[in-house]
Amino acid sequence: MMPASVRLECDVLVVGGGMAGATAALAAREAGARVVLVKSAGGSTSLSGGAVSVAQDPTCAPDSPFAARAGVVESARRIAALRPGHPYRLLRDRLDRLWNAVEFATGQLSSVLAPPGGRNRWLLTPFGHAHAATTCQATMAAGDLAEVRGTLVVCGFEGNLGWDPSLVASGAARVRPLGGPESRATWLDLFRWEEGALARPFELARLLEAPGAAEEAGRVLRRVLVRGDAVAVLPPVLGIDPEGRVADRIAAEAGIPVAEFLSDIPSVPGLRLTRAIDARLAEAGVETLRGEIRSAAGPDLPASVGGREVVARSWVLASGRFVGGGIERRGELRESVLGLPVLASEGPFADPGIRFASRPPATLTQRDSHAPQPLLAAGLRVDAELHPLDAEDRPLHPRVFAAGAVVGGHDPASDGTGMGVAMLTGWLAGRAAAGRGA
Amino acid sequence: MSKVKSYAWLAWRAVVPHPLRALGRAGTGEERFLAAYATEGLCPTSLADLADAEAASACIGCGLCEAACPLRNAIPAIRHLGLPAAFRLCGKSDEMLASSAAALAACSGCTGCEPLCPTGVPVTRLVRALAARAALLDAARRAESAAPR
Amino acid sequence: MTGSALDRTFDVVVLGGGVNGAGVARDCAMRGLSVLLLEKQDLACGASGASSGMIHGGIRYMTSDRNVTALASRDAGYIRHIAPHLTFRIPFLLPFATHKEGSRLVERVAWYATEVYVGTYDLFQPLKGGKPSTRLTPDELYRIEPSLRPGLHGAVTLDEWGIDGQRLCLLNALSAAAHGAEIRTWTEATGIVRERGRVVAVRFRDSLTGEHGEARAGVVVNATGGWSPRFGRANGFQVRMRPGKGVHLSLDRRQSNYGVICTAVDGRQMFLMPHENESIIGTTDDDFFGDPDDLEATADEVDYLIDGAASLVPSVRRARITRAWWGVRTTLFEYGAQEDDLSRDHRIYDHAAEGSAGLLSFVGGKLASYRAQSEELADRVVGMLGRGTLPCRTHEEVLPGGDEVPSAAELASRHGIAEVVAARLVFRHGSRAREVLRVADDDPRMKLLLCRDEGILAAEVAWICRNEKVRRLQDLRRRCRLALGGCGGLDCARPAAQVAARELGWDAERTRAELADLLELGWRERRPILDGWQLAGEELLRAVHRGLGGL
Ligand SMILES: Cc1cc2nc3c(=O)[nH]c(=O)nc-3n(C[C@H](O)[C@H](O)[C@H](O)COP(=O)(O)OP(=O)(O)OC[C@H]3O[C@@H](n4cnc5c(N)ncnc54)[C@H](O)[C@@H]3O)c2cc1C
Ligand SMILES: Cc1cc2nc3c(=O)[nH]c(=O)nc-3n(C[C@H](O)[C@H](O)[C@H](O)COP(=O)(O)OP(=O)(O)OC[C@H]3O[C@@H](n4cnc5c(N)ncnc54)[C@H](O)[C@@H]3O)c2cc1C
Ligand code: SF4
Ligand code: SF4
Repeated sequence: MMPASVRLECDVLVVGGGMAGATAALAAREAGARVVLVKSAGGSTSLSGGAVSVAQDPTCAPDSPFAARAGVVESARRIAALRPGHPYRLLRDRLDRLWNAVEFATGQLSSVLAPPGGRNRWLLTPFGHAHAATTCQATMAAGDLAEVRGTLVVCGFEGNLGWDPSLVASGAARVRPLGGPESRATWLDLFRWEEGALARPFELARLLEAPGAAEEAGRVLRRVLVRGDAVAVLPPVLGIDPEGRVADRIAAEAGIPVAEFLSDIPSVPGLRLTRAIDARLAEAGVETLRGEIRSAAGPDLPASVGGREVVARSWVLASGRFVGGGIERRGELRESVLGLPVLASEGPFADPGIRFASRPPATLTQRDSHAPQPLLAAGLRVDAELHPLDAEDRPLHPRVFAAGAVVGGHDPASDGTGMGVAMLTGWLAGRAAAGRGA
Repeated sequence: MSKVKSYAWLAWRAVVPHPLRALGRAGTGEERFLAAYATEGLCPTSLADLADAEAASACIGCGLCEAACPLRNAIPAIRHLGLPAAFRLCGKSDEMLASSAAALAACSGCTGCEPLCPTGVPVTRLVRALAARAALLDAARRAESAAPR
Repeated sequence: MTGSALDRTFDVVVLGGGVNGAGVARDCAMRGLSVLLLEKQDLACGASGASSGMIHGGIRYMTSDRNVTALASRDAGYIRHIAPHLTFRIPFLLPFATHKEGSRLVERVAWYATEVYVGTYDLFQPLKGGKPSTRLTPDELYRIEPSLRPGLHGAVTLDEWGIDGQRLCLLNALSAAAHGAEIRTWTEATGIVRERGRVVAVRFRDSLTGEHGEARAGVVVNATGGWSPRFGRANGFQVRMRPGKGVHLSLDRRQSNYGVICTAVDGRQMFLMPHENESIIGTTDDDFFGDPDDLEATADEVDYLIDGAASLVPSVRRARITRAWWGVRTTLFEYGAQEDDLSRDHRIYDHAAEGSAGLLSFVGGKLASYRAQSEELADRVVGMLGRGTLPCRTHEEVLPGGDEVPSAAELASRHGIAEVVAARLVFRHGSRAREVLRVADDDPRMKLLLCRDEGILAAEVAWICRNEKVRRLQDLRRRCRLALGGCGGLDCARPAAQVAARELGWDAERTRAELADLLELGWRERRPILDGWQLAGEELLRAVHRGLGGL
């Protein structure tokens, strides 16, 4: 017998602490279940750029005005209609719950996430792209291009060449005809000493958190403002800790709302989100174990994590994809926790009958990088209850569910539904695992 | 010169000059090899080094571990390089390692980085291992350049 | 006709900016001729940028003519002399394997023959600064290279040089330019103009600006490598050759400091060797009669290379492969027909008999012998122009940056950068690393490190843009290996584009187009090898560039 301190029993075991796993754990907890969550690290969620992308209207022309685009849920319905392999298609009968899921997840993480609106926000990225997202981190909300009235001031740091405001601002210029604001680029006279020039994003974020630093930045910003400037967006390094309120402090001093644009790598917002998730899980009473589960057997059987054993009635597999670690390829594609077959795909390989686990990468990708890439959309196939399917297309186990990027058929890194799928599938899976239907 | 002549020449080399040369050479083959190459920093790679290299290859350069890495006492250039560079630029070859001894020595072993790494790189252990090899290579290099020609 | 600055008369117009084109342009320019070089893409976009980057001393000619070996070794020595910073030593192990348990007499004789052969090559090693070979017992071999599969019977060692072939090409072009040559990249030769059986001019078109015109020429040298059969066909002359496709794989780091020669499934020889900071596996060699602009590595080629390397070094299967890359070799149609010709694997065709007097085509050859090949070509050009010129000095005068190899440690402490970054800078730029760092001294922001795979500073990108004939962002792949590492440009692509844009005056839309182009090239090279952590990296890269970049 295992000593009780080493053995943990619970209703729901969630594997993965990214957006999908966190949403599942919190939903199950809310439904009254005892929940244990296991995570080895932060996964894709900790690298994400600050946007919560749920769905963008796939049917509208690239040049259609913001206002003419479908709302978020309607956009998801259109994706479901157009993309056979996509999880939204599998869940098409329950897409009316998408909004509940997104409100639930963002509500749970309201310390960092802004509440969602029915329409997408349009957020700038460091590449000069306007990215549609249902919501975003609270520090970014004021930069929504569809809402800015007046001139958007895109700022870079004079002393640090990491971001080029004119490149960033070009994204706004491109969507100007769609209902975006006027914009201009400017350099703030900040970080003009060697340490500032060489500081990496996390260090810049910490420098700005220091007492007086954000206020100084605000004063510098105020100096470059002119009449008509409505909102300023700055590089996504406005503090790691939301309690530091860096954006607010800059705004107070500058006298203008201040927002971050989205982040690439390394991602300060990603770390911020991960910390908020961890804090929320602890607060909600989800027991979190750090460590990796390998070759486990599933519900009712012990799984070992970092010297402890967990036995759970239901499992939610929310282990992410290649970055998260849920799906791996070592000569062959496989799912890493339960060893499930990897089947799902999209694009020209949408036929679910095609078993492509051992096919060479060259045949699972297309030369044009913009075309659908089945290899990068690889993952588990699930039924409409989110049960992963085995090699014969049968549900593996009535109490095993999958959520998030581990579910295949979508390319969360690029198709603009990453967080939306994580939230919807996480919410549904968490409730189902806790014994509450949708 | 014809092919026949070339082969005849090689055959003669096989019978006379080559055996003679073998007699005249000092040391074992390994000693001669290492004297020629290890002194230039081209040292053998042990299986342990190779295993470390494999573990380091898991780094996808996401930069998350940087968030935890204090590096407070390092000079700006090394702080800027960041310790994740250990698995990429610094750890790519012995030549790079030899130039990275100081950078890698900046790791305090605080282990703050490891829980952040999405791909499970054993950051602390690896930085330690690479730093050790870097120190050796660096020392060997210095000894070599100090040695009288 | 437009009023292009090139619509004038040159002594020589060279088509193709591979190592032969750049080499002959340099030689001619140094002899005092006026030279125009047209390259339809960027310098080293062809075979010269896709070679194994080995400067061999011609060991295989010992069975036919040891004078050729002596010449090749001496030329390797010249390359060492003119570009010392770009070269690095590669000790090779030639392991002895048997098919069955124990060794048979014939095998032992064959091994001794190998030992004698490589031992005889030692006679030429001093010409190129090589070290003598040694025979290793099995125990010694496994201590030196423990990753080799069990059951080998020892090895002999062989010393050769490696080089960055892309920068070698570039430096020749830069040196040519310094001697007055006009170097035009992204400018295609679109046609040949003849008058009375003589080639008198070359039509060209700049693919970036659309500028086009005719450059008049005394002599035209066609050095378009694998493209020349097609170019010839389209322009009324014939270049006979046998193009072959060669694929390499790069691993993310050096597996060892020593190269090994392995035998592929089809019995061909191939290698796994350290090259710069990586190990590379190469190469395939298959006939290829398609369009060289349309190459890609296939799944079979990737398997062939991995299987071959793993047959000797099994751990290769666990290593991270970062990309597959390819090029077209040009081999002579009738290989080695002229017995006693020094140029046994290259030939210069004079197309006078086809009504194209004044046009020479270069076929075959090696990167390693580019200098000698270029000298031979330049001699022919001079002969055709019938004019006295300066003598060839390409073996004496060093290439840009080749005059000194500064100490990385010293540069690092003087300029306040990490030593490992300085080491890369010195490798790429030799003495000109000092000039690069002056950019950083003038503007400390330029010390920003863009790439943690190659150690590329913003200052280096800026300096290269100013001094190394950069016209597109992708040119930086060949100047400083931008976005070629395992990360595929995760950190570096955007900030490098920003720096390049500042230097070259690109607006935001052009910058984004250049970024998209750079990333597309990388995707094509990684697509066939995506596995293990490289696949995870691709997910991340795609999230950043497609997801956030909208590229
Ligand atoms: C750079 C980047 C930027 C992005 N930007 C956006 C964006 O702006 N908007 C958007 O909507 N989406 C974005 N995405 C996509 C989005 O981040 C993902 O789709 C989403 O985070 C996936 O969440 P997940 O919970 O399914 O997986 P992950 O976040 O990857 O989580 C997987 C979890 O499983 C754990 N795990 C895996 N295997 C095991 C195991 N064996 N044992 C224990 N634990 C295990 C991991 O440790 C991790 O905690 C981005 C992705 C990336 C990479
Ligand atoms: C896989 C492989 C491995 C090799 N390994 C080695 C090695 O280790 N050592 C060695 O010594 N040699 C090696 N070689 C051989 C060596 O690479 C070639 O001999 C050498 O690079 C040929 O150079 P080049 O200038 O003739 O041709 P290329 O480098 O192919 O140059 C031809 C150029 O012409 C340009 N061009 C084409 N058409 C036009 C046009 N119409 N107008 C303007 N420009 C045009 C192309 O863009 C191209 O840049 C290798 C070759 C291959 C393929
Ligand atoms: S263990 Fe070393 S590398 Fe990791 S955070 Fe601490 S100092 Fe940095
Ligand atoms: S967190 Fe891991 S993958 Fe990311 S940079 Fe650090 S070591 Fe590399």
